[in-house]
Amino acid sequence: MTTQTTQAAPGHEVVVQGVDKRYGKTPALAGVDATIGAGRFVVLLGPSGSGKSTLARCLAGVERIDGGAIHMAGTLVGDGRRHLPPDRRNLAMVFQDYALWPHLSVAGNVSYALRRRKLPGAEVERRVADALERVGLGALKDRYPHELSGGEQQRVSLARAVVGRPGLLIFDEPLSNLDADLRERLRVEIATLTRETGATAVYITHDQSEAFALADEIIVLDRGSIVQAGAPEDIYHRPATPFVARFTGIAGELAGVVARADGDQVGVDVAGVRLSARAGDALAAGDRVRLLIRPAATSIHDPSSAPLGGLAGTVIDVAYRGRGYDHVVETAAGSLAAVFSPRRWDRSGTVSVAVDPAGCSAYRTEGPHPADSRVLDLTAVTLSA
Amino acid sequence: MATLTPERTEAVHPAASVPSGRRHRLTMALSRAQGAPLIAFWLVIVAILVLPIALFLLVAFSPRLLSQGSQWFTLTGFRDALRGPLLHAVLDSLAVGAATAVAATAIGFGVAWAVLRTDIPARGLWSASMFALLLAPSYLVALGWERLLEPSGVLDVLGLGSGGARHLFYGPFGVIVVLTAKGVPFAYLAISNALRGLGEEFEMAVRVHGGRGRDAARIVVALLAPAVWSALAIVFAESISDFGVAATLANDAHFPIATFTLYNAVDNFPINFPVAAAIGWILMAMAGLALIAQSRALRGRSYRVLGGRSRPARRQHLAPPLAAGAVGCLALLVVVGLGVPAFGALSASLINGLGSLASSHGFTLSNYQRVLDSGALRGPLLYSAKLAAITATLTTAIGAVSARLLTSRSGRLSARILDLLLLTAVALPGIVFAAGYIFTYNLPLANTLGVHLYETATLLVLAYLATALPATARVLLGPFSQVQHSLREAGQVHGDGGGASWARTVLPVLARPLLSAWILTYCATLLELPVSQLLYVPNHPPVSVGITKALANYDFGGGTAMEVIAILFALVVVAAAWGLFRLLAPVGWRRLGRTR
Repeated sequence: MTTQTTQAAPGHEVVVQGVDKRYGKTPALAGVDATIGAGRFVVLLGPSGSGKSTLARCLAGVERIDGGAIHMAGTLVGDGRRHLPPDRRNLAMVFQDYALWPHLSVAGNVSYALRRRKLPGAEVERRVADALERVGLGALKDRYPHELSGGEQQRVSLARAVVGRPGLLIFDEPLSNLDADLRERLRVEIATLTRETGATAVYITHDQSEAFALADEIIVLDRGSIVQAGAPEDIYHRPATPFVARFTGIAGELAGVVARADGDQVGVDVAGVRLSARAGDALAAGDRVRLLIRPAATSIHDPSSAPLGGLAGTVIDVAYRGRGYDHVVETAAGSLAAVFSPRRWDRSGTVSVAVDPAGCSAYRTEGPHPADSRVLDLTAVTLSA
Repeated sequence: MATLTPERTEAVHPAASVPSGRRHRLTMALSRAQGAPLIAFWLVIVAILVLPIALFLLVAFSPRLLSQGSQWFTLTGFRDALRGPLLHAVLDSLAVGAATAVAATAIGFGVAWAVLRTDIPARGLWSASMFALLLAPSYLVALGWERLLEPSGVLDVLGLGSGGARHLFYGPFGVIVVLTAKGVPFAYLAISNALRGLGEEFEMAVRVHGGRGRDAARIVVALLAPAVWSALAIVFAESISDFGVAATLANDAHFPIATFTLYNAVDNFPINFPVAAAIGWILMAMAGLALIAQSRALRGRSYRVLGGRSRPARRQHLAPPLAAGAVGCLALLVVVGLGVPAFGALSASLINGLGSLASSHGFTLSNYQRVLDSGALRGPLLYSAKLAAITATLTTAIGAVSARLLTSRSGRLSARILDLLLLTAVALPGIVFAAGYIFTYNLPLANTLGVHLYETATLLVLAYLATALPATARVLLGPFSQVQHSLREAGQVHGDGGGASWARTVLPVLARPLLSAWILTYCATLLELPVSQLLYVPNHPPVSVGITKALANYDFGGGTAMEVIAILFALVVVAAAWGLFRLLAPVGWRRLGRTR
């Protein structure tokens, strides 16, 4: 791969105002507002059905919006009645299924995106060769898509997207069909190549580790609405709702009662132990809450030499993770998964789990406590360090 | 509002900006008329499919509404259609349809099993012959047999007595034989598709639990029930709606069939549209009954046997005597369906004065010479070739739009209505279409509205289009549903407009299926009979009408020579179309769909 840099073309500022989109009677987006600064790399994060793909398709112009308005680079591109087609929006897209045209060679696929530029043939050839070199596929330009591996196909798709130097680059879960190792390598390529082009990037994923690794800003969506938007650090350390906290990775939820409230810090009694946490809601002493704990905020200790304020529990599962071990620990207040330790703690052994207040958020309980209803979620959700 | 503050906002470069100005405003204004193409498409569908059929069928109940009688509501048409010779014809159709369905399904099952589950020699040949049978028009098959067996026919000329065979063939038996030969490919296709998806695990389960080969076969037959019932329903519907055999062999044998009585009702004077419409309703009801029987037989059972874990079935080795017997049976089927008619037509075209009472009949090529020299005989072929090319092009284009609409993610209601309409139209006999066109476009209202299409080539093409469209749309539905939507969307987001994006990214992927659909429609239209017979422009007969007219005038040599030339012409067009595709299509287009 060469290190030649591509001339940066500043991206679109994208303004989304009260956008509604319905499929039949089912709402997919409801009053979505967002402003994405020119040249920013924004990740739309959410579970299946949250509306992130719909929002990206509305930005691309392959879907018409039913209400609200979208402006790009200061120009109205769609409202409830009018619609600027995708080919007039100066953008490009990397699709989840690659969407390579099977009748065109690799070079044919990439050069397609230069049609609107109306460049001389020699310039097209130079740019295609450059884009393919940048993704490491210079030697495969005459092959057809079916003659490439999945990773190579997605690289072609990436080269096709950046070769035209569009103002907006949209990535629709581009790594979801690839294996873990390839995902990581392509993720780095996407991050560097996109930032070099200077285009505004909108990247869709349901993988929170991918989102945190790539984004300048993250927009979290749930059921067609934005639930939080901000820098990755904000989302991680100050999740606005239990949904955002859960979706961006927690070790578990413990039921407790607020013993003291001091601004945005609270002390919560959990199974006879007082834990400090950030107040996710406005809380007062006596409120029943659930504590949502990040995996990185937990550490495991021998009960005989544990620091004060640890939660007593029993190890019910251990998983080797290479750099150490993830444990599932059952406490009197609930279960904690992905509790990391560099050493192995045996199953059925008694341990003490310490919780760092920086990775612990308290939210007022609505409905039954998880511990009360004996609902134990043993899913280990980890966030890559 | 989620506002993501830019840290390194720069001025938007003109090349990277979204175009604005007058063109932008025009594009935005035009985008308001997004439903216009869909409305235009539906207007075409209503004009060519819905209106002619609906108005024609309506006249069975309300002749006065459409200026065909004095009564606003009556069932007289049905009363007349269900008594005397007309009832006889309806019952004949029912009996022939039932017998043909059972015979063709049994034979089709046997062929499918032999080709897919045994190591019978020349499997490709038997499979190809099923497609050849599918494409051969039924009236040509019937006429080939007639040329052999008729008095002073080929067998008589060759001195081979044919009295017994003639007596047997000119009647229900012959009609059932020809329609069965025509029905076998439908049954074969329905059953072979299901058999391909049925893994060997079900048979293995029988065998490992103590069952014999016979028991395993019984299980397989039970699991194939949906396909078997489909085959029965399709062959029944095809047989009762057939016009080719009804107009030739059945008519010559004085064996009345419903489709021919419908033709008589609109072709003889006085024209009786209410009775014709009532027969149309009866034919539709019979096809509907077959579908209901199929649905009831399968209700409440699950036949979901196709999954990712299915293992391909193994071929059964046939011992030499068994293989020889199976090859003999398949060869007999091909001889009956293709060989005899081809021999009958070819030999008749090479005999001088066949059909006349002249005592000497020598072999000659003069019949071909006559067809090629005489404008009256050559004209119909060239005329049909032109109409078939126009029809195939229009049908493929509208069929592609229909298939696109049926596989679209939006417009579900529109797609459901179109699907239902096309399914109903598939079950409608061609003769009902033709009668509907005569009726609707001859109404005084059409004249008042300034629509003067009656007895024009335009009306004939529209009727060809209406009869071909349902099947063509079905044929294209499979390939269209396989195309990922993202291919076209990728074209759009990378700079092409809607139409250009489709032409550059989806058309190449669908080029082969579209060409296949064009060729199928071309061949079917070139030799089409029922619509041609009722709607041809006076003094401009299409080739099928030309052939039947020549034969009706006892010019057997000229008629069969036209038949042979027409078939050869169709084969040349097929070869030329594929040849041009191979020569002219870009290399990427040709690579698609090829096996390694």
